[in-house]
Amino acid sequence: MSASSLRKKRSGLPYLLILPTAGFVALFTAWPVLLSFYQSFFLQRLNIARFRDPTFIGFGNYVDLFSDPYFLQVIENTLTYILGTVPISIMLGFLFSLLVNRKVRGVGFFRLAFFHPMVLPMVSAATIWLFFFTPDYGLFNTALRALGYTGAQNWTGNPDLAILSVIIVAIWKNAGYYMIFYLAGLQNLPTDVYEAAALDGANGWQTLWKITFPLLRRTTVFITIIAFIDAFRTVDHIFVLTSGGPSRSSTVLLFELWLERFEYQDIGASAAITVIFIVVLLAFTVTNFITSERKEA
Amino acid sequence: MKKRFGTLLIILLIASLAACTTAAPAEPAEVEEPAPAEETTMEEETMEEPVIEPVTFQVFYPVAVDAPIAAILNGYIEDFQAEYPYITVEPVFSGGYADVQTAIQTTIDGGGEPPALGVMLATALYDLINAGTIAPLDGYIAAMDDGDAYVADFLPAFLSNSTYDGQLWSIPFQRSAVVLYYNADMFAEAGIEPPTSWQSWAEAAQALTVEVDGATNWGLHFSSDWPYWLFQPLAIGAGQNILVDDCTVTYDDPAVIDALQFYIDLSEVYGAMPAGVQATWPTDPPDLASGATAMITHSTGSLTGLLDSVDFELGVMPYPGREEGTYASVPGGGNFYIMQGAPEDQREAAWLFVEFLTRPEYVADFSIQTGYIAHRYSAYDTDAMLAYVADVPQALDARDALEFAGAELATQNLGQVRGILHDYIQRAINGEMTAADAMAAAQAEAEAALVDFCP
Repeated sequence: MSASSLRKKRSGLPYLLILPTAGFVALFTAWPVLLSFYQSFFLQRLNIARFRDPTFIGFGNYVDLFSDPYFLQVIENTLTYILGTVPISIMLGFLFSLLVNRKVRGVGFFRLAFFHPMVLPMVSAATIWLFFFTPDYGLFNTALRALGYTGAQNWTGNPDLAILSVIIVAIWKNAGYYMIFYLAGLQNLPTDVYEAAALDGANGWQTLWKITFPLLRRTTVFITIIAFIDAFRTVDHIFVLTSGGPSRSSTVLLFELWLERFEYQDIGASAAITVIFIVVLLAFTVTNFITSERKEA
Repeated sequence: MKKRFGTLLIILLIASLAACTTAAPAEPAEVEEPAPAEETTMEEETMEEPVIEPVTFQVFYPVAVDAPIAAILNGYIEDFQAEYPYITVEPVFSGGYADVQTAIQTTIDGGGEPPALGVMLATALYDLINAGTIAPLDGYIAAMDDGDAYVADFLPAFLSNSTYDGQLWSIPFQRSAVVLYYNADMFAEAGIEPPTSWQSWAEAAQALTVEVDGATNWGLHFSSDWPYWLFQPLAIGAGQNILVDDCTVTYDDPAVIDALQFYIDLSEVYGAMPAGVQATWPTDPPDLASGATAMITHSTGSLTGLLDSVDFELGVMPYPGREEGTYASVPGGGNFYIMQGAPEDQREAAWLFVEFLTRPEYVADFSIQTGYIAHRYSAYDTDAMLAYVADVPQALDARDALEFAGAELATQNLGQVRGILHDYIQRAINGEMTAADAMAAAQAEAEAALVDFCP
């Protein structure tokens, strides 16, 4: 075979190979995104006869959303939720991975214990925690009282605690998942660096923060991205535990999106919230990607 | 070699794409039980004469309840198909009421053909009418020999959410009501009579609140994380339901405010209930059964489960009303709706199925097996039901509660109007606002939410 025909064959084949995947992405991701952008500029409500056909209103949906105090509370709740779940579950994942990265007897049990919440469907996990959160005799409250806690116990019914209850369930569910990634990262670290550090007289704490953690930077970046995205995407437990309440204190962005689309039948507003979602997540992912690549260079 | 490899790969790709497209099923939703019908749908043109071509239709059913309902429904379908051999019924089990409504709506939005029949909440009426999803049923009733008698046989409380604009839009199917369950043995031991007014209710709950091993066994559990349904009988018992019609809510009526204040007082004044919003719907029946509480407010749908799990005499009654000797309740549950977008022959077959399932013997059987309230008077005269209520008199108590029932909350823009009520009731219960302020704010917001919908 001649050199030129070889090159011709190579240039066509890759595109052919990715064609099915590209087709799926175009049909099920790109097209709905574009459709949402388009629909967000229209007023359309399915449960009012005269608004069933879309009417163009420009940025009206966005203006209405951001001037609605409820939506601003939803944004506040979402930020609280993100700040509550992402850093803590990542740190716990790191801590767990350090704990189970040893060759002691019974470490397999602990790995199982830390990881098993991830295997449960979120609705099952939330249902279990619903019983844990029962005031007075639920396991969670009993354990807290044994530790000397004397405060409020109505986790899912108290407006100040409801968001905390969903944060707790999310952390419990995901920490084990991030543990696995950190574990893999830890087990791939080069041992000669540690030998050098030991020779230089570094103690455990210094080894941890000046060597181990920096070496796991790429893992951390990856886990931060998926934790951030997952915190936006998973609201199953809110349906089970608090139904977004009480008084909407645990309604986050995706829950509000569900309310707008399926309870209020407001196509325009739900499309606008979808666009906000896409913008936020895209901005985050791209920024993370760029800054991490820059650090590499 | 490369040439052959490339060609082979292209052939494999095309083959796999072709396999994918032919394997794509036509079913719109998950089918949890294998449907007893054939897969090929024969939809021929309807003929003019009464000799009917074979017709297949789908019924979307919300299976998310605590009984083996799917198997029961499949049994009924078999009986129906035996009687009407030219009709095939395909049940599609879709998780819950909201899922059924969403699935049907999404199908219509996508330009597809909706199922001929669906079971959805009775309160979804206005949303469904406004979205053009459902068809009125008066034509079918008029074509019956005894249409008026048929409709009159339904318990009126269960038809209260079926009519709009002078037309009938739905037929009751799996209906329930809010009741007060109580531990009759605990009452007898304490020498207390079942309550007959708010005052005696509060006092009974107070007397039955005890400290056990450092924890409190409350006299009453009253879930409030999805509050409207359990709250309505309090308002009705105070003299005014929270709505008047599809465009008028009465959240700030003095009687409604009194009802909310009574709920708050039960914990603040009488110490008979935990303070704050109680998110205890799933845990209340087990709590009653285990003796952790003396009374719970819950659905009649939990009756069968409770009867199986209690080792004491279970009492069932409507809520006591404010005045001595008055009572209150509210209906709930799902109705049959026929979809406008389905072909005419499917809709007519679906109506025959509805008629079949609302025959007294089937209504009675369904009620006995599932715990839903039999929604037709004639069902209570069937042998099966007479035998059942001899064993389980609580079933009649559940039905009798409906005598005192007002209409369930159903308005235009129901999602938002109900959400506003929940929001403010919970603020009042959690002490963030007074009951009067909360309900006034709720009324103002609800009226604003109804403006676009109501002329």
